[in-house]
Amino acid sequence: MTSKITKEKITDILRTVIDPEIGINIVDLGLVYDINISENNIDITMTLTTPGCPMHGSITNWVKRIIEMTIPDISVNVNLVWEPKWTPDKMSEEAKLQLGM
Amino acid sequence: MIQNNQIASAYSPPFRIVAKYFIAAIISFVIFNLLLTLNYEDISGHHFQPKILSVTHIATLGFITMIIFGAMFQLVPVVLEVKLFSTILAEVQFWIFSLGIILLVYKFWHFGSALSFTLPAVLLNTAMLIFSVNIIASMVKVKKWNLTGTYLASSIFWLLTTAVAGLLLSINLDTPFIKLNHLQYLKLHVITAFVGWVGMVVMGVSFKLIPMFTLSHDYKLNLANWAVALINIGLLGVNWIMHYPDTQFYNVIFGSVIFAGMLLYLIQISVIFRKRIRKKLDVGLKFTAISLFILGITTLLNFSFLFFNYENVINLTLVYGILFLVGFASTLIVGQMYKIVPFLVWYHKYSSKVGIEKVPMLKDMFNEKLAEYHLYLMISGLVISIISLSFQLKVLLLFGFSILLISSIIFSFNMIKIFRS
Repeated sequence: MTSKITKEKITDILRTVIDPEIGINIVDLGLVYDINISENNIDITMTLTTPGCPMHGSITNWVKRIIEMTIPDISVNVNLVWEPKWTPDKMSEEAKLQLGM
Repeated sequence: MIQNNQIASAYSPPFRIVAKYFIAAIISFVIFNLLLTLNYEDISGHHFQPKILSVTHIATLGFITMIIFGAMFQLVPVVLEVKLFSTILAEVQFWIFSLGIILLVYKFWHFGSALSFTLPAVLLNTAMLIFSVNIIASMVKVKKWNLTGTYLASSIFWLLTTAVAGLLLSINLDTPFIKLNHLQYLKLHVITAFVGWVGMVVMGVSFKLIPMFTLSHDYKLNLANWAVALINIGLLGVNWIMHYPDTQFYNVIFGSVIFAGMLLYLIQISVIFRKRIRKKLDVGLKFTAISLFILGITTLLNFSFLFFNYENVINLTLVYGILFLVGFASTLIVGQMYKIVPFLVWYHKYSSKVGIEKVPMLKDMFNEKLAEYHLYLMISGLVISIISLSFQLKVLLLFGFSILLISSIIFSFNMIKIFRS
């Protein structure tokens, strides 16, 4: 079953996770660093814009839950990392435009 | 890659604790504005006047300190990644503190009543001591110290200094014992409260929250390090010399050190604002930016006070008081509340629903248009009040205070909307 799961599909699911303060999804914000798919297991490596952001419990739970709900029988592990540090360059062009950059 | 799976939000205290402090603060804010309006005629004489002191303490204790307590219970665990030492102490402190405020405000209002000043002062000191023990006991467990922690630790020291000075002033009002001028100690009480307590908390927290809200990047915090050192040195100096007569020379020196520290802070924060990625400021950040601009004005005024006897200039103390309490502190707090309260309620009500059902964006949890009107009204009310106080225009002062009152009602309406959303 994991053969049908692609990074693109996971990325599309993650686009539905929107930072409630900024109003932009975590993929376009450049917060998702890596998606690793193995048998029945997905490892997501991601960051947040600021260390100590009080949202981080919610957002990591959100990521885990949305993938597990969309793809049955899969286990998701979210690794929150602070290195490499998030920079604005990691944002997509649309996100930059939306923020007025 | 360094992994960090710690969930800071797991450190947060229960919602009901923080909510209690915030709701009490919102009520105090409206009462403060109401009393300003009802007593506009009294608020034009000398500042050391019972009713003015009563109104001032509703603002400083009931609104400003109450909100700082609630915010620190929320922010200290998140910013320093540590669990709050005790939620029971935070709960107990709330009731002792509230009772202390009610009694102190009543006593100032009914100056001749049988109630002593010492009783409310003891209650308030007890509450502040409980708060300090709770926060310090949390801080000692911190593994990764940061600059915000240094500012917050300093603020607690100055809170206790302010509280003790307040206690001594209260005892002195009941049974005079202070050999030097009572007003000299009052000055110490005000400086440590404004710069040491409110100032240090605001500055420390701003280095964390403003970059988070504006997505500021690529700046150094060198000036902030210097600022905290200079302000602490200046305040220690001021506290030391206030116990001696004839301190003008040293007052100028230590006052200038504080001024230099404040100036560095203001430069630092303007660098952070300039480095922001979110160019468009939302309503909460507009309030914040305006309040920091007003902090610049009050800082300059403070510096000028070192060189002339401002108490002889008609109403300058009151103008300064309104500028600081309404222009800086209240504007900053309401702005930050438009950012923090939606998050707190969102986290409490919706974080368990994320991914399962549609959750709102934070800005959708209140009426942003109404918040913009709140901003315009608050600033116009402030400007009108300052002009009226400067030129002793009583009717215009009533108009200015009424606008501030309306703006505070709009604010509380928006806050109720967030809590009920």
